[in-house]
Amino acid sequence: MNTQKQLLIIDDDPDFVAGIKSVLEKAEYSVDVAYNPKDGFQALQSKPYDLLLLDIMMGRGAEGVAIARKLRKDPKLRELPVLIITGIREQIAFLFPGQPVHPHFVELDELVEKPVEPKLLLEKVSTLLKMAEEKKSQKKG
Amino acid sequence: MATKYRILIIDDEEVVLDSCTLILAGGNYQLATAKNGNLGLELAKEFQPDLVFVDLKMPGISGLEVLERIRDLDPNIVSIVITGYATVSSAVEAMKNGAYDFLPKPFTPDEFRLITQRGLDRRRLVLETITLRKEKEMLRENFAAIVSHELKSPLGAVQQNLFVLEYELEDKLNEEQKEKIERMKSKINDLINLIHTWLRVISVDVKKLQESFKPTSIPAVIAKAVENVQPQAIRKNIEIVPTVQEPLRFVNGDEGTLVEVVGNILHNGIKFSREGSRIQIKAEEKENTLIISIADTGIGISKEDLPYIFEDFYTGDTGPIVEKSSGLGLAIAKRIVEAHNGSISVESELGRGTTFTILLPVQ
Repeated sequence: MNTQKQLLIIDDDPDFVAGIKSVLEKAEYSVDVAYNPKDGFQALQSKPYDLLLLDIMMGRGAEGVAIARKLRKDPKLRELPVLIITGIREQIAFLFPGQPVHPHFVELDELVEKPVEPKLLLEKVSTLLKMAEEKKSQKKG
Repeated sequence: MATKYRILIIDDEEVVLDSCTLILAGGNYQLATAKNGNLGLELAKEFQPDLVFVDLKMPGISGLEVLERIRDLDPNIVSIVITGYATVSSAVEAMKNGAYDFLPKPFTPDEFRLITQRGLDRRRLVLETITLRKEKEMLRENFAAIVSHELKSPLGAVQQNLFVLEYELEDKLNEEQKEKIERMKSKINDLINLIHTWLRVISVDVKKLQESFKPTSIPAVIAKAVENVQPQAIRKNIEIVPTVQEPLRFVNGDEGTLVEVVGNILHNGIKFSREGSRIQIKAEEKENTLIISIADTGIGISKEDLPYIFEDFYTGDTGPIVEKSSGLGLAIAKRIVEAHNGSISVESELGRGTTFTILLPVQ
């Protein structure tokens, strides 16, 4: 089996995507991109991914949140680790007043702010992937 | 305006009701009358008047009570009391309680027309103000989204690509080239921070802030704020000296934003102080009030600038020695302190230094 990890980015800003995609690809990940929530959700159902990089503020508001909600409900996608990438701290606070910045949308998630330093991005991605794997093996065991 | 204003007249004297109806006949009004308070209130609910005339002296429930209940119904209905000369003092009382004007009996048709016109003008202003306020609120809410998406996103994308360039070219760039990239990164970072500050200003929602209030230790607030600005202080060799006069009670508030306030003032103090100087920060309790004072011995603020420093976007003429600022820090600080039912004030002497004082009510 191919050991290359499959990542999906859902983000409506092509300029930003270009900036993180090349970093991830250089680190030997296979990266697909969807530029809107609809395509993104379709992609998630078409093939299994190891990790999702999700933008929160898309289109007319927090459409990324809607995706996260759908993920939660989907028994197959529930365990997919998600790296949430957001432009604005305050907006997370708007959406979830009184909650700590880390939103816990899904079982395994992490938050980074845009723009993100390549080293930090790679670190978060590999940590999340590792945590997901540990979880899987625990369940099997 | 083309809309027909609705006028309700409540008076127990049939003559008054009839003559008023007669006087206003033919005008662009919709009229309703009631001969006592109870009927008037019933009518007010379905008729939804713009303007109400209420006789103060009526059998049954009093005019003052009618006024009060109409205000409960809709505080934006303009009300005018009708009163005999002998009861001018109660008319004054009614106006203190929100009536817009009073009409002494007996009155001439012209007097009645005039006061009606005045009352309706008032109503128009009230309605316009409400609309404007709503628009302003919408603008405030949408502005956050607009600023973030239209300004911050492109800037973030530029920064992201710069990060990647630097990362990918790491072993190819020489020192000079690396420095250029550093410079670009730092400027873009300044811009992004500036946008964050703007967003912060419009997103300080006083009500939401108050919902999260809990007992908060001021020494802890001071310690955190001092820690936050310590790097800048060390760079300028400035010593921050905290003095806490125990015992201090807790303040009902939000620790995060209070740290922001104290940190912001300390940060200003450092900016405007000479190298090697000191900043004193004191906390004490006096008469159920917690007093935090922050004193520097820096360049001070001129008398001309002093009244404006808490206003949005005010930066004053800070001279050449100081880094540029957004002019929003103190405006935000003031808003936050006031959300805590406190106050913030400043004393300053040019060349001698500046002292900020924050007063917060103790639980």
